[in-house]
Amino acid sequence: MLAVQIKAKEEILPLVSSKRIFIFECLGCHDVYYPVEEAQKLIDSIDQEIVGRATLDYLCHADYDREYIKAYAREIERAEVILVFSCGVGAQVVSSLLDDRKVYTCCDTLYLAGFQGLTAKEFDCDQCGECYLNYTGGLCPVALCSKNLLNGPCGGSQGGKCEVDPDMPCVWQEIFDRLAGLGQLETMDRLGPPKKWNVSPA
Amino acid sequence: METHLEDYTKFRPKPAEEISDVVRRAGRMFVIACGKCYKVFEEEDEGQHNQLLETLGDDSARIAGHARVDFLCNEILSAKKIAGLELGDCDSIGVMSCGLGVQFLARLFERTPVYALSDSVAHSVNYPTDIGYHGVSLEADKCAACSQCYLNLTGGICPITNCAKGLLNGPCGGATDGKCEVNSAVDCAWVRIHERLGRRGELSSFGYVQTRDYSRPSWKTENQLSVQNREYRHAGFYGGFHPLEKKEMTADKRIEPLAEPKVAVIFLCQHLGKRAKPIVEPGDTVKVGQKIGEADGFVSATIHASISGTVVAVEERPYPAAGRRELAVVIENDGRNEVHASVQPRDGFEALSREDLLDIIRESGIVGLGGAMFPTHVKFSPPKPVDTLLVNGCECEPYLNTDNRLMIEQPEEIFAGIEIARRILGVDSVLIGVEENKPEAIATLSALSEKHPSVQVVSLKTKYPQGAERSLIKRLLDRDVPPPPRGLPFDVGVMVSNVGTLFAIYQAVARGIPVFQRVITVSGEGLSRPGNYLVRIGTPIREIIQHCTGGDVERLLDEYDVKMGGAVMGIPQESLESAVIKGTTGLTVLRKPAVPVSEERDCIKCGRCVEVCPMHLYPLFYGLYGKQGDPGKTIEHKVEECVECGCCEYICASKIALLSFIRQEKAYARSADKG
Repeated sequence: MLAVQIKAKEEILPLVSSKRIFIFECLGCHDVYYPVEEAQKLIDSIDQEIVGRATLDYLCHADYDREYIKAYAREIERAEVILVFSCGVGAQVVSSLLDDRKVYTCCDTLYLAGFQGLTAKEFDCDQCGECYLNYTGGLCPVALCSKNLLNGPCGGSQGGKCEVDPDMPCVWQEIFDRLAGLGQLETMDRLGPPKKWNVSPA
Repeated sequence: METHLEDYTKFRPKPAEEISDVVRRAGRMFVIACGKCYKVFEEEDEGQHNQLLETLGDDSARIAGHARVDFLCNEILSAKKIAGLELGDCDSIGVMSCGLGVQFLARLFERTPVYALSDSVAHSVNYPTDIGYHGVSLEADKCAACSQCYLNLTGGICPITNCAKGLLNGPCGGATDGKCEVNSAVDCAWVRIHERLGRRGELSSFGYVQTRDYSRPSWKTENQLSVQNREYRHAGFYGGFHPLEKKEMTADKRIEPLAEPKVAVIFLCQHLGKRAKPIVEPGDTVKVGQKIGEADGFVSATIHASISGTVVAVEERPYPAAGRRELAVVIENDGRNEVHASVQPRDGFEALSREDLLDIIRESGIVGLGGAMFPTHVKFSPPKPVDTLLVNGCECEPYLNTDNRLMIEQPEEIFAGIEIARRILGVDSVLIGVEENKPEAIATLSALSEKHPSVQVVSLKTKYPQGAERSLIKRLLDRDVPPPPRGLPFDVGVMVSNVGTLFAIYQAVARGIPVFQRVITVSGEGLSRPGNYLVRIGTPIREIIQHCTGGDVERLLDEYDVKMGGAVMGIPQESLESAVIKGTTGLTVLRKPAVPVSEERDCIKCGRCVEVCPMHLYPLFYGLYGKQGDPGKTIEHKVEECVECGCCEYICASKIALLSFIRQEKAYARSADKG
């Protein structure tokens, strides 16, 4: 679901200095994005004794983690620090199951557009609870406008690009073009009610 | 322990008045509903359409039609499904799905208005500070994917997803009795963090000020990752995945002959089709290469003795390719290694006719040595003309180096085999596909191909199951073979042959050597002598494993799984009593997984099986109906088209034994087909 980047070794080495280490490495999202080689490089740069290493799938699944913890009980017992290579979900699940142990993550988690679904995409859904797509030609201003504007572009839209990040297309320009193509430009005139930013989860 | 699975369904219907309003201004509408994801999968249809009609009341007459498309955001499969829908003369498309499905359809139907009939739902306790994304599981823990993980400072409790204010430097003043002031039903994250740090003796480590960089990661970084990821996953053909290759252990090991077995167990069925008829009896003496089993009919293959000695039994023995017993000729070695008179080099084989060559291939017992074991003389007599021979040197299975070593050590023989195959098939164009993780093989073959203008070596980006015929044809020629069980490569004018088979063809035709030995890779975990070995057919698995562990193997199966083949498609062995057959590409020894696959677990509709299925199928249905004991229903979901590549089971987030369900359901479908 989520992509990870390996943290700098300067951030990890102080946490593990002169301690015995156990490693959990999650490959469940290997095909999403898991930098196998960078992870190994970080592990190689650690001078301390590694008492065990479990390479496994779906560390985000607590039931599995209980089994893994059982299978590696002896090694985990001997370790003073448990290092986790996974997304933030896996790191939190392991941490909660090993409540009184020192558990550290070696990854920063990144989000890829489209991943509430199945694959990375060039568009995204922020799950805002109040879908605007019917007024925007099916392009989402909540997910794709830097300022989450709902009634047209800001004054910073330059040559179809966003002023916040000039690499990023201005979604309101794209919405305009799409509505023009659909012959629905009058939809742009609609001034919607303010967005309910407090829409509560289901 | 009681498991609590969250429901992460991504959308709910819009309020009734909004739906009616949309439908009234949309003209005649065709409704496409996503089958939902990330929830326990209990029934196939959520009844969303009936619910919608009920909501619309009289306006329901405006609905022109409807369809359910599972995993609507899977653009490739969904576009294909939608192209097959009868949309009629509708004016607009209505969508029940999360925003991803709506946006995808808005792009797909450029000139038809697309309307959302549902709102996407966030699943975060502290909305609206930040959305938390769940993993490929239905746990309550979530991650905001902020790209600057704080968990090492906060005892593994995320302050961004758990604190309503996303505070990074301790609690606000609003927490009362350990509860959050924004939502009193929720524990204050900072109280939990403080307590856990206390238990871990880490309170002192928390003392400096954190700031969050909201510009990370940049749009460009995320976008590049997205593009890269899609290219990586969809390269060459739809589906498949990238297992850890683990080939380095044996990639550089030369093929070594293994000592002949004291007793060889030679199965009479080492091929697809009818079992060969034994033509020896206990007490007979046999020599190496002597025919001991006669092909029984056209789709069958001959069997040869692999050692010289005495036949001691013709009886059923445990069969390695399935959990059953099969008839085998058991030969006791006399240690003389005497070769049968029929094994003679053949001068002037270049002048032989197509029929003569096919006869030699049949008499030599050649079958698909890549593991499929289909008789080669049958395969090489296609009922339709073929224009291209694809030589399969992919070897996409983890651990195996059988084909790799053969390409490095016997390239000239492989090319000679290709020439023979070309003559039989009458094709001009030959492509050899090799995955890029075998640079030495690619270099060796490419150098030789300069002398063979019609042969081209193609280096392929690695991906499992690239070595499956259909995937390779798609990847190299961009041709789509019609679905199994009826569609075959010759339907699109292609013949695929494994490098090992072509090597065997050369051996048989030029040197008169039938298939009584083959190269296997023995690799995996807990082996002191992994390697690539030339072994006699019928060598007991126990002897090979004993050689490679260099010790006692009695208790090996308690701790390890031994698979015939590679890690993904390999067939687990119930005992070591079985023996090498023609289709044994290797033996892979792997530590038993802490979480084995099971037929019991709940599917959570994560859709990963759909993403990896190279046949464009939806394997989750096979799990659902298998568990419900209703195999007939999977026929609708095309279970017969499954090629059993194992991708779905390998990737399954719930570790469901999908392959075992699929095999049962395919058997059911076959029997239903016969009436």
